[in-house]
Amino acid sequence: MSLRSIPYLVACLALFVALPATAFSVEIPLHQQIDLLIGVGKAKFEKTASAPSDDATFLRRVTLDLTGTIPTSNEVRAFLGEKSTDKRTQLIDRLLVSPEHARRMQYVFDTMLMERRPDKHVPAVEWRNYLRTSFLNNKPWDVLVREILSVDGTDKKTRPAVKFLLDRELKSELVTRDLGRLFLGRDLECAQCHDHPNVNDYLQRHYHGLNAFLNRTYLYKDPKTKKTSIGEKAEGLVSFTSVFTKEEGKTAPRMLDLPEIVDPADAKADYKVKPAKNVRSVPVYSRRLQLANAMTHPTNIAFRQNIANRLWAMMMGRGFVEPLDMWHADNPPSHPKLLDLLTNELQKNGYNMRLILRELALSKTYQRSSQISAESEIAKEINFGVGQLKPLSPEQLAWSMMQATGLTAKTLKSLKTKQIKADPKNGAKKIEEPLWQEEALHGALNKNVTAFITTFGFVGAQSSRFDASADQALFLRNGPLVQSWLVPAGDNLTARLKKLKTSSEIAEELYLSVFSRLPEKTEAENVVAYLNDNQKKSQQALQQLVWAALSSDEFRFNH
Amino acid sequence: MNVNQSDTSDALVAKKPVVDYEAIDLEKTHQVSEFKHKFPLTSCRADPTGKYVVAGAQDLDIQVWDLQTKSNRTLKGHTSWVRSFDFSKDGSRLYSACWGGDIKVWNMTDTQPKPIMTIQAHTGSARWVRISPDQKKLATCGNDLLIKVWNVEDGKLLQTFKGHERHVYAVDFHPDGHHLVSQDLMGFIKIWDMKTGKQARSIDASVMTGYDNKFAADMGGARDLQFSPDGSELASAGITKVVNSFAGVQDPIIMLFDWKTGKEKAQLKPEKTFQGIAWGVRYHPDGFLIGAGANRSGKGELWFRKPGEKEFFHTMKLSTAARGLDLLSDGRHLVIAHSDGAVRVYRMTAEAKRPTKTKT
Amino acid sequence: MRRNQGCNHLDHHLARRQFLAGAAGAMGLGLLGSPATAEKIKGQHKRVLQIYLQGGVSQLESWDPKPGTEHGGPFRAIPTSVPGMHISELLPYTAKQMHLLSIVRSINLKTNDHRQGRLFMEKGRRAGEYPYVGSIASKYLAPANSELPGYIHISTRGLTDSTSAFLGAQHGQLKFEGVKPPKNLAVPKGLDETADARRVQLREQFNQQFRVGRPKSLTESFDASFQQAAKLMGRKELFEKAPDPKDLERYGKHDFGRNCLLARALLENNATCVKVTHHGYDSHAENFNFHLEQLGEFDKTFAMLVDDLHQRGLLESTLVMVYSEFGRTPKINVRYGRDHWGTAWSIALGGCGIQPGAIIGTTNEKGTAVADREVDAGHLFHTYLQALGIDSTNDHDIAGRSIPIGDPTAQPIKELLS
Repeated sequence: MSLRSIPYLVACLALFVALPATAFSVEIPLHQQIDLLIGVGKAKFEKTASAPSDDATFLRRVTLDLTGTIPTSNEVRAFLGEKSTDKRTQLIDRLLVSPEHARRMQYVFDTMLMERRPDKHVPAVEWRNYLRTSFLNNKPWDVLVREILSVDGTDKKTRPAVKFLLDRELKSELVTRDLGRLFLGRDLECAQCHDHPNVNDYLQRHYHGLNAFLNRTYLYKDPKTKKTSIGEKAEGLVSFTSVFTKEEGKTAPRMLDLPEIVDPADAKADYKVKPAKNVRSVPVYSRRLQLANAMTHPTNIAFRQNIANRLWAMMMGRGFVEPLDMWHADNPPSHPKLLDLLTNELQKNGYNMRLILRELALSKTYQRSSQISAESEIAKEINFGVGQLKPLSPEQLAWSMMQATGLTAKTLKSLKTKQIKADPKNGAKKIEEPLWQEEALHGALNKNVTAFITTFGFVGAQSSRFDASADQALFLRNGPLVQSWLVPAGDNLTARLKKLKTSSEIAEELYLSVFSRLPEKTEAENVVAYLNDNQKKSQQALQQLVWAALSSDEFRFNH
Repeated sequence: MNVNQSDTSDALVAKKPVVDYEAIDLEKTHQVSEFKHKFPLTSCRADPTGKYVVAGAQDLDIQVWDLQTKSNRTLKGHTSWVRSFDFSKDGSRLYSACWGGDIKVWNMTDTQPKPIMTIQAHTGSARWVRISPDQKKLATCGNDLLIKVWNVEDGKLLQTFKGHERHVYAVDFHPDGHHLVSQDLMGFIKIWDMKTGKQARSIDASVMTGYDNKFAADMGGARDLQFSPDGSELASAGITKVVNSFAGVQDPIIMLFDWKTGKEKAQLKPEKTFQGIAWGVRYHPDGFLIGAGANRSGKGELWFRKPGEKEFFHTMKLSTAARGLDLLSDGRHLVIAHSDGAVRVYRMTAEAKRPTKTKT
Repeated sequence: MRRNQGCNHLDHHLARRQFLAGAAGAMGLGLLGSPATAEKIKGQHKRVLQIYLQGGVSQLESWDPKPGTEHGGPFRAIPTSVPGMHISELLPYTAKQMHLLSIVRSINLKTNDHRQGRLFMEKGRRAGEYPYVGSIASKYLAPANSELPGYIHISTRGLTDSTSAFLGAQHGQLKFEGVKPPKNLAVPKGLDETADARRVQLREQFNQQFRVGRPKSLTESFDASFQQAAKLMGRKELFEKAPDPKDLERYGKHDFGRNCLLARALLENNATCVKVTHHGYDSHAENFNFHLEQLGEFDKTFAMLVDDLHQRGLLESTLVMVYSEFGRTPKINVRYGRDHWGTAWSIALGGCGIQPGAIIGTTNEKGTAVADREVDAGHLFHTYLQALGIDSTNDHDIAGRSIPIGDPTAQPIKELLS
């Protein structure tokens, strides 16, 4: 993926990252406040903290985090050669407005919200496109969530957004639980049947309060179009009994401990559209429509805390609250003040996620090396003084491997040629558009990404932990897909290595392409030694050299 | 159609031994009577003298109905479902085969018949029983993959034919009395020479079997088997085009084979929308062919084919599944064992224009 | 609204102390650290053999025959090697092994859905992300130096299961497509053994540099998967070896026979949980002909396998489970089929920790309801694990969470445990 032309960038930047004036007025910039708060009250912090990462590591890290792939060898060379002092800031701003960033956010939020469930009612393609378009426009989080929770699936234009509710088939044990987990950071499932036995803050009324927003809704299948949408009745109350204490409770819709949202007194089971056979009923007063407002209402601080925690975890590799959906008094955030800072900032800037990501990326905390020096002590608890190893997601792994082996560049080249042929008049202009490039590449290479998701992803609850299984290793070790990328073709990595004269040139190009950095002296020597052992530069020896680098620990993680 | 016929059409049992061919109008086939049992039926057979119809059911008993008096007798003694019968030529003996592996012989002249002989014929189900044209032998097949021939008088085992590798669904004597034919799950039809005691040849009916990929199992087998009266042709009823047998998604088929050459003569299938199993096939003395079957949703159909034709020329819808088919000796009536527990009698002529006293 | 059905939650117990350890756990230490709940099995390594009769075997045609009753169907009951115990005549070989096995006849799952039933039977919970029995066996029973993955599933067609939940991918099932070895087991074309060894060595060389000054847990997990892959590649001959013709004669030449022979070989080579799926019991039509065919395959093969495990002294340390996602309706439908039925059905268990020759529970005369000792998959789950010496009332201790291993509202069938 090549870097964008500067004028375009500036335009985009002005459009999309229009920061509210307040954010920068008198206050210390957010990223500096983050760095100030991270070590507060921790005596040993500086002793255990690591040094800032070098340019190459930073470039790889932030490119992966913000655009979902590693940089090309040319991008690495250019960045290392760049002399300006604010080149990291420039890079971050460039990445944040790229179409690749929107794709990366699409992957992250699709995985978060749908958890790789198989399709039910709304095609994933449409849903993902909706997400990506939202991120291209930096749609604020509260707006996005309002859309997701308020659409009913009948309007073709907004239908993709209903996937969250429809593909869970409105089943309360799924929807209510996931509303709590994904939007409030609280997994209330246990509180379905009784107040949580071990988590004092999770009460049965919390679960049922959430449940009450949707207890009148049902799946409606249009007999003609066969499409499913959401119908709602005008009646139905939620009451509950504890299986332990037999205590009974009743609740109207409510967000955790916020006041109940009582049905209006005059709403007496009146309908805009009355229930009947093959009719989608619509009540005059909809409890469901209260959900989106109550969720994103300024008083619902849990909603902001949750997204702040999740964005932090995306960049830093771990949330302040971990697991991300187990927020309660006995599992408090590790850095409450810092979390408050981010939470308030989200409110102040209108849930501008791109702005938060920018500030996080700019912080020293984010930019610290993941490697501690020989003198440092290993901290007993994670204190964000050292960069975390973040396993690449299946999507990141696939795109990074295709980038490293040169498949991405080679594919883009041929896509461009095709486009010019197909459209001699405007093709040459079109192929320079970053959005066209991203979409064309995605279309051409998505199958490979799917193969990685099949092997490395899994359906069900997300896990921030790292897993590795034998079939994954076999896929990397012997699978035909990765092997096919090693065969020299066009300008791909093996072809380029083949053309190089000396072993040390090979070592350098390999390291730049795969590890996104220059080799250290001993590393280059090791490569030279390997090549000398293996009949110089036999094609097979080169292919397996690339393979060994691709399947190494260093490549597997964002470090 | 024949005017005289309509006047006499209501007698269930032909008084004259000679069939009045003129009267038959297959497209006007209609139900004339019904005999009910409380369990779903599995099979039926009409006795050659035209007095009785017998039926097996999803219980352990055999139901016998007198066609004229409509009285019922229940024959008890089997230890499993009865799914195959045959009668001696004079109608005095009934031979029944049950899924427990036993063959029982009943004296139908008794007021309350008890088994006069029980042959423990097979390990696993005895699926089929037939009496030889000379009335001296019984042929049976079972889930032990064997074909056995018994002395009808004393129940002694005369011959065993071994060679099928999968369950044998049906067996019958060729009218020449010297050959047996049997068909298994995989659509192998084997012809056995009773003189040499060996397999003489085989016929390929593999169209009538299918492997269900989804469920990893085979489905097939003859659900009925009959020779044309002159022995020149063999008809086998069953299934083809297995899509999802576990849900009953496959097509019924009746296949006809030339006895001499073993070559396939016809593949008769109902309309595509009727997916299920062909459970019965009979040659009418007049040469035409009758088939019966059931579909996935429990409806039945009767099919009629004129000699030499490639397709059924007429289909009659039945409100419940047909699981067994036989012809009455008068050549005018059919009996069908239905899944709702009823044996129904259908008459292959036009309906009588005015009700008569004898109407059943 | 569903209530009072037992708490399904994986975070039910969350003790404060866990959060201190949690920091390390999130880094992955919890994965490789010694499992707090693992009963360290002394002596022989405990194993599981699962025979999964996919689609729902009919209890009336197998473990709970009701011949001569309204819904009994055409098959009869036969005596077994346990006096007084009768099973369907479709299982003559198994009948002779029943002194090694026991039957639970009183299962009520309250679901007739394939997926829900299967997940309940495997996870012991109606809902939620929990590990399968096989993944639990892999985690707590597999020896550290095991040469085979802890949970191998031999099946001829693909039902994709996410089996390991929070226990981690290395405890997920490794799927064998029949006797075909796992995918990607062969070294890529054009590479010989030396070149392959050389590239692996090269990979290791790259890793060494990276590990300096970094916590080990994540990279160790990753490298462990490569080691496991290498071990599998090393046991290639075990998967590729043609079965002994004599064995094949005894087990049957069909897929199920071959799959069970592979299962035996795997168990003998210290695999921990081997699951063999026998397909084709979802007989909505022609239930009786299909059960004849399917159980005809199952019966002899299974009986031979149980006998072999017994003869070779493995049965004592191997829990044997024969199960489905549910049973089949007593009522016979118009297609001679039986439909889905989770209300009153049976499974068979035997081997490690199981009292042999027992019958737990009864159904009523017509088989339409459980008459006595009703259990569901939650109870069965505790029973399997306790038979294996795993305290199912204990918690999984995973990355900051303590998660009850079995559903806390269910108990094991104590009288079935030996």
